[in-house]
Amino acid sequence: MNAFHIHYRNTQGTLMRILTAVSRRGIDIPYLHAAAADGVFRADLLLEVNAKQIGQLCRDWHAIVDVMNVRVGAPTPEMMENLASSFAAPHPPASATSSGRSASAAMA
Amino acid sequence: MSMLKGAEIFLKCLRAEGVHLVFGYPGGAIMPLYDALEGSGIRHILTRHEQGAVFAAEGHARATGAVGVAIATSGPGATNLVTGIADAKMDSVPLVCITGQVRSPLIGTDAFQETDVFGLTLSLTKWSRLVRSIDEIPAVIAEGFYWAREGRPGPVVIDIPTDFLKGKMEFSGPAKFSPKARPSDEKADAAFPDEVISLLSKAQKPVALIGAGAKLSGAVPELRRLLDDLNIPAFATVHGLGAVSPEAPYYLGMVGMHGTRAANMALHENDLLLVFGARLDDRVTGDPSRFAPNSKIVHFEIDPAQLDRVRQCELSVIGDLAQTIPAFHRKINNAKLPDWSDWRAVACGEDRAELDPRGLAQPTIRFLDELFGRLPNNSVILADVGQHQMWAAQRYRSDSPRGFITSGGLGSMGFALPAAVGVQLAKPDATVLCVSGDGGFQMNIQELATVRRLNLPIKMVIVDNKYLGMVRQWQQLFYQRNYAETDLSDNPDFVEIAKAYRISAERINEEVMQEFPVSQETADTLERFLHSSQPELLVFDCAPEANVYPMVPAGAALSEMLFEEE
Repeated sequence: MNAFHIHYRNTQGTLMRILTAVSRRGIDIPYLHAAAADGVFRADLLLEVNAKQIGQLCRDWHAIVDVMNVRVGAPTPEMMENLASSFAAPHPPASATSSGRSASAAMA
Repeated sequence: MSMLKGAEIFLKCLRAEGVHLVFGYPGGAIMPLYDALEGSGIRHILTRHEQGAVFAAEGHARATGAVGVAIATSGPGATNLVTGIADAKMDSVPLVCITGQVRSPLIGTDAFQETDVFGLTLSLTKWSRLVRSIDEIPAVIAEGFYWAREGRPGPVVIDIPTDFLKGKMEFSGPAKFSPKARPSDEKADAAFPDEVISLLSKAQKPVALIGAGAKLSGAVPELRRLLDDLNIPAFATVHGLGAVSPEAPYYLGMVGMHGTRAANMALHENDLLLVFGARLDDRVTGDPSRFAPNSKIVHFEIDPAQLDRVRQCELSVIGDLAQTIPAFHRKINNAKLPDWSDWRAVACGEDRAELDPRGLAQPTIRFLDELFGRLPNNSVILADVGQHQMWAAQRYRSDSPRGFITSGGLGSMGFALPAAVGVQLAKPDATVLCVSGDGGFQMNIQELATVRRLNLPIKMVIVDNKYLGMVRQWQQLFYQRNYAETDLSDNPDFVEIAKAYRISAERINEEVMQEFPVSQETADTLERFLHSSQPELLVFDCAPEANVYPMVPAGAALSEMLFEEE
């Protein structure tokens, strides 16, 4: 697993562009966290990718006009912990939400 | 300041970006923009399908380097633009597509003709915006045009809800956009020329590969001067055609799947590959694992996303070729470089003639040679997609950088005819020759109405082999002649169709190309066709099973070219 940290301006569609660079290659996204950080936004992803894909992804992300910076590194313990807990969750998610309303009620 | 409708503001902002010509098709959500067109100073060209509009806008942009503009309504109007948007992305064409959207309160309700064009074009666009209020219009247009032109050009989508076009606001003038610098923006190291010279001084078999980037950056004169001084074998991708004069003694023609034998062999055998503005896609490299096996690669490129895709470069020179090429050239004047005359003699030798001699006698190649040889200097040739495209690319002999236009990356059948509309409008005095196949021509045949309405003197050729020829060629060579669904022998009579559009048309048979030289009657037909002041269609009936050679089979190395069916 490789961790990617992408700083971006939170303009329309930028996060989606970051994610489609991954999904177009058929790569799963087991961990994603995106939030405001240091005056811009930061997306952290964990991906199972090879060295060639790392290079391609970094270049594709950099080509997105509102991406400021891309860093690659090893996963942090917090990321791995979240990853483990997400694998333990039911998939697909249960229809009942945390507030107790059912999915069908939410759609009504 | 004055109170203006959003549509009026929109058009004033387009004018401020230098737009005077747009291509489109009206519909419900975009009607307010059309209502404001008269008196805006912008000429609108009505095509007969939105795909025709976006390809025409691409043709205009490819011929001029300016941003092409296409307009469509919401829903199906917008989705019909998608192929053109993808085409512009692949071929680095500056394009702005403007789509009407349903009224803003209805967005997300699956309203009539609502579609998420912003979402569905995210991965195809360089930049896009759904306008969220009337006062965003000036800033969105300024930023959209900036990104369409900047660096490696590309497509932009601006989706605007119809209520913002109808609404009014105080307008103080068009906006200006200044991008914020990015900390990670890369630029070529100032010492790069010395590094390239160091690699060159050790090379025994250097070559240069020329892509579209040289033309897009306006660096063709600098590139030609550099190549003249380096005097190393050079070849071009399909989009690089015209960047190097075909008369240059070191020029080997087109490279890749249907490239010349000389170019492909030199690309396979070299030990130092200088790449100028090409992304090295699979049609150029063949099997990536066997691509240029002994080569070190120096990649001059404006878009860092294109680097190291096939193989790690020895050296990446990131930047605009209009700056990096002269910087490099200045240094080589004082450099002591090896004598490569032996290598040049091998790579450019006559035993590596550009086509197999049997190929030159092929009637369609002769037909194209006869046509191209009669074209005036200011001509633009458009090729659709398929066998005729590759034959045209192989036989293209002009040194005009923007003289050969085709859908090279996406390979969109139906591109050439509407693109020719945009080219002819951009270059009214040029001879515009549009070469299509019988399959592709029918994909946007409705644009004959646009050609007729505007009385554009486009010279249209259909190479009619009554097959989807390139697919059939693959079926013949790699699918045991199982010609599944490629037979078009029930084609309509194209001459009669053209006449129904009130366009003059005639047909010639490939047999007339078996005379050496062609008869006076045939020569007269070609002269009359090319020099008419009216739109003309010429249908060239040719053998159904002619193949394009050389051919590098998919997955093979460039050195493994086929010259006939094995």
